[in-house]
Amino acid sequence: MAVEYEARVARIVEHAPDTRSLFLSGPRIAFRPGQFISCLLPVGGETLIRPYSLASSPEEDDLEICLNLVPGGRASPYLLTLPVGAQVRFTGPWGTFVLDRAPEAEAVFIADGTGIAPIRPMLRRALATATRHPLRLLYGAFHNEHVPSARLRDEVARRWVDGDADRARRFFICGVGAIVPALRDLLRGAGYERRAVQYEKW
Amino acid sequence: MARIRIIFENGDPERVIEFDPARAPFQHDGKPGSILDVLLGHGIHLEHACGGNCACTTCHVIVKGGGKALSESDESEEDLLDKAPGLTPTSRLGCQAVVEDPDAEIVVVIPRYTINQIVSEHGG
Repeated sequence: MAVEYEARVARIVEHAPDTRSLFLSGPRIAFRPGQFISCLLPVGGETLIRPYSLASSPEEDDLEICLNLVPGGRASPYLLTLPVGAQVRFTGPWGTFVLDRAPEAEAVFIADGTGIAPIRPMLRRALATATRHPLRLLYGAFHNEHVPSARLRDEVARRWVDGDADRARRFFICGVGAIVPALRDLLRGAGYERRAVQYEKW
Repeated sequence: MARIRIIFENGDPERVIEFDPARAPFQHDGKPGSILDVLLGHGIHLEHACGGNCACTTCHVIVKGGGKALSESDESEEDLLDKAPGLTPTSRLGCQAVVEDPDAEIVVVIPRYTINQIVSEHGG
């Protein structure tokens, strides 16, 4: 069984209606930029296990998770009503969508909506360890909705598939639903090496 | 009835589950009828930090027999398995490998380690 930790909601920041960050204070855990914690949530008499990417950097004291209301979901309504001071149990860190240092190639980060959460500590680490290669971020947010998939896909195709023949770039993609494997398939199909296209699909 | 024999690399006693795949899901995490679903629904713990949504490698199992009775892996599962510690040619993610044959005879090994608390030299 994984080690369980207990944290307290130290601060809540509302980004938009139904989208907020919870700052969890308690155990200082070591993690790699891009990893997530797995919250154990008491809902309806059972324990729900839900992963939340860490939007904070390993160097910060509190753990930040960013979430929005999932229509029909059971975990997000619970977390979005937690007050400051509430206890949250979790395990982790988990996950292999990570960046320990800036790649030795141009790095492109692509995030859709709250998919920016794991990208943020990755970008900070990439900036702190930057090489001569550029770092790029393509971030899509349309009010509180996800960017229409076709638009994000077209933008990626225009810039990094049709735009030039360079296939040495590294990609880090995070978002919700089918857009993530769609971007993966687009890039790999265009000639980027499989391991050069890293992603996390929620 | 389908059968899964479970061997624990940590030395815990073996277990055998007999079940009817048509009765899936047996609980709420992982694909219905997946190895994760069957094990959890029969009281056997298998780590699944992402909630059984094909987003981590903690439900990694090694299929020692009966693999043909399982659904085929897709690219997302293969990408994650690529990073699983102790990867073998018959490794699967428990949350994705669905038992499709009603008379399946499957043997799985639960590895001792999963990717957890692995920190790089920069991890602080």
